[in-house]
Amino acid sequence: MTSVSTNPGGRSAPSTEGRFARIWRRNGAGYLFLLPWLVGFLGLTLGPTLASLYLSFTDYDLLTSPRWSGLKNYEYAAFYDRRLGKAIEVTFTYVLWSVPLKLTVALLLAMVLDRSVRGVAFYRATFYLPSLLGASVAIAVLWRQLFGADGLINQLLFFVTGIQGPAWITHPDYALSTLIVLAIWQFGSPMIIFLAGLRQVPQDLYEAASMDGASGWRQFWKITLPLLAPVIFFNLVLQTIEAFKAFTQAYIVSGGLGGPVDSTMFYSLYLYLEAFANFRMGYASALAWILLVIIAIFTAIAFGTSKYWVYYEDEQR
Amino acid sequence: MTLKMDRRGFGRLMGGGASLWALASTGALAQANGSVRLIWWGNPERDKRTNAVVELYEGGGMGEVVPETYAWGDYWQKLATQAAGNSLPDVLQMDYRYIFEWARRGQLEPLDGYFGNEIDVSDYDENQLKGGMVDGKTYGISLGANSMTHVYNKAVLSNIGYELPDSTTWTTEDFVNIGKELKDQLPDGMAFSENMGSQEPRLQTWVRSRGKDLYTSEGELGFDVQDVIDYFVYWKMMQDEGLTQPADVQAQDSGKMEERMHVNGKSLFGFIHSNQLVGNQQLMTDEVDIVMIPNAGDSPGHYMKPSMFFSMSANAGDKAAAAKFISFFVSDEGANDILLIERGVTADASIRERITPGLTETEQKIIRFLNMVDTRVGALPPPPPANAGEIDRALRPAWESVAFGQVTPEEGATAWYDDAARILKR
Repeated sequence: MTSVSTNPGGRSAPSTEGRFARIWRRNGAGYLFLLPWLVGFLGLTLGPTLASLYLSFTDYDLLTSPRWSGLKNYEYAAFYDRRLGKAIEVTFTYVLWSVPLKLTVALLLAMVLDRSVRGVAFYRATFYLPSLLGASVAIAVLWRQLFGADGLINQLLFFVTGIQGPAWITHPDYALSTLIVLAIWQFGSPMIIFLAGLRQVPQDLYEAASMDGASGWRQFWKITLPLLAPVIFFNLVLQTIEAFKAFTQAYIVSGGLGGPVDSTMFYSLYLYLEAFANFRMGYASALAWILLVIIAIFTAIAFGTSKYWVYYEDEQR
Repeated sequence: MTLKMDRRGFGRLMGGGASLWALASTGALAQANGSVRLIWWGNPERDKRTNAVVELYEGGGMGEVVPETYAWGDYWQKLATQAAGNSLPDVLQMDYRYIFEWARRGQLEPLDGYFGNEIDVSDYDENQLKGGMVDGKTYGISLGANSMTHVYNKAVLSNIGYELPDSTTWTTEDFVNIGKELKDQLPDGMAFSENMGSQEPRLQTWVRSRGKDLYTSEGELGFDVQDVIDYFVYWKMMQDEGLTQPADVQAQDSGKMEERMHVNGKSLFGFIHSNQLVGNQQLMTDEVDIVMIPNAGDSPGHYMKPSMFFSMSANAGDKAAAAKFISFFVSDEGANDILLIERGVTADASIRERITPGLTETEQKIIRFLNMVDTRVGALPPPPPANAGEIDRALRPAWESVAFGQVTPEEGATAWYDDAARILKR
């Protein structure tokens, strides 16, 4: 957007006009358009975020005013909270399994859809559907039914093999795996991004490679993957952050308990229980900030290592 | 292109926004105009009866009531956030576990000053009134009495043709022996009992029958680690003997009535509080009945619990109106003709006399049960300390670690006992 052209060449206006007025005249409309988001951001995001930083240094039970307690919350989290240790273990397991598997499935399907099959738009939409529904309460409830002791999965299993399966979601050996499968099933959004990335790969590279007799596998390894690296990187960072914050699935599937034996006690579910079941808002705020630091570290690692494996086409090396 | 916007236009825009803002926020202000906000946790049946009483109250021209209801699981977090935002409803349904915490944190209004004026509790049982007292003042009016029970599937038992022994004297060993006797005659997929290893109220009757309690009046643990070890050993044995469902099936019950083992035909016996029989029977086609809990020591562990209270918020807008509504709810004949005993058997003697003849068979069972228990109850336990809810929630993973064979009953019980002691100190 350009400013009103009373000011050819964009040189500064006469000094009689104040600085703010000048900025206003130039960008006022922009700020006006920005206003709804800005108000929301300041009032609903930044404000509460800063408030939670303050609360993390207090004892706050919602019923009485917060009392300053210094580093006590952080100390307790670091040295005494055994269930938090379990929650971190569960969350890391979830992230380390669900993210690579989800991205692999998403990439494979994207490559299948990249071939110009007839009705590709239909398949694309169909494959994306689970992700639209995926994080919703309804699907989690459905999951609870599917993987129950008398659920559809076990009925199929019994019908095919005659084996009576366990109650998948309420057995500590399988509950987390069930949630990882649910996560993989929501491959839609990384798949769409991969698809866009695949469309960017110049076709003549493949043609040249075929001339030289490179196999399909070799083409994938030498052309597709390197050129897709930025997109993979983008998806990896996004999905890792998502997986660390996962809440709804565990909350619904475990009936809000993170069970059995805390095997689905995700970090954010534990945080929620501390806040709204045990009324320890101060401690829960501290947990939220610790999670922020953990996610930041992981993101930093991803960015730090990216220069060794992510190749941008417009880079000069 | 550019947006033409002069200072005045912008001011108008902002001003308009601000006045809208002001309009929107007035709704949150308390109104002292005889209107009462009411909140309770419930179930479909309870909500139906409560809303009918609200309509009766409004129809009588006594004032306006704004009702609000949630499931137990969401209720306490909703209440806490309302308290934090200074927007608590005027009349709150309270539980024995939380009333002390809420009263001591200054959220509730003492009601003694309203007795004899707005609130009529002249026919109330003394011990039920006492149940709502914290540090010498009354912060809640009991809505009814209940006690813990073993509920059982009467239809299945009559089909087998088995006669249960007198439940006022049976022991936990009797319970196991009956289970072994019935085990092979039960329908397919039905175990003898729900596994109660993670049920805190059942553990409480267990330690009470040994002359102890969950907490002392100083808010310390009132039982020994050995009591929990014995408890876990008992329920692990029940599971290993096949008298309860395997751990993964039992774990599918997250505490909602519709997920309970006995409701789904997966067990003959279950654990409920007496007033829940109404809601429980609604979910089942088979007839159920309630009996006393098997004794694990020298005396039954039962006590007569105020099932729930009505309390008033300390910042209620119109306190006199709120008090009037509470009084109407607990002592008005018309109101109680609707409510009956779904919230527990009313502590108002004259109301009890009035409604008993007209009760359904299911409700009669509750009255019969409480009459049976009444002469065999011990004292009301001391109020639970502030973190009791958390200790209760920690019992489940502790028991499950035993049920799934990850640790021995001794290890699981000791870990939970140590956790409980640590939580009390937090």
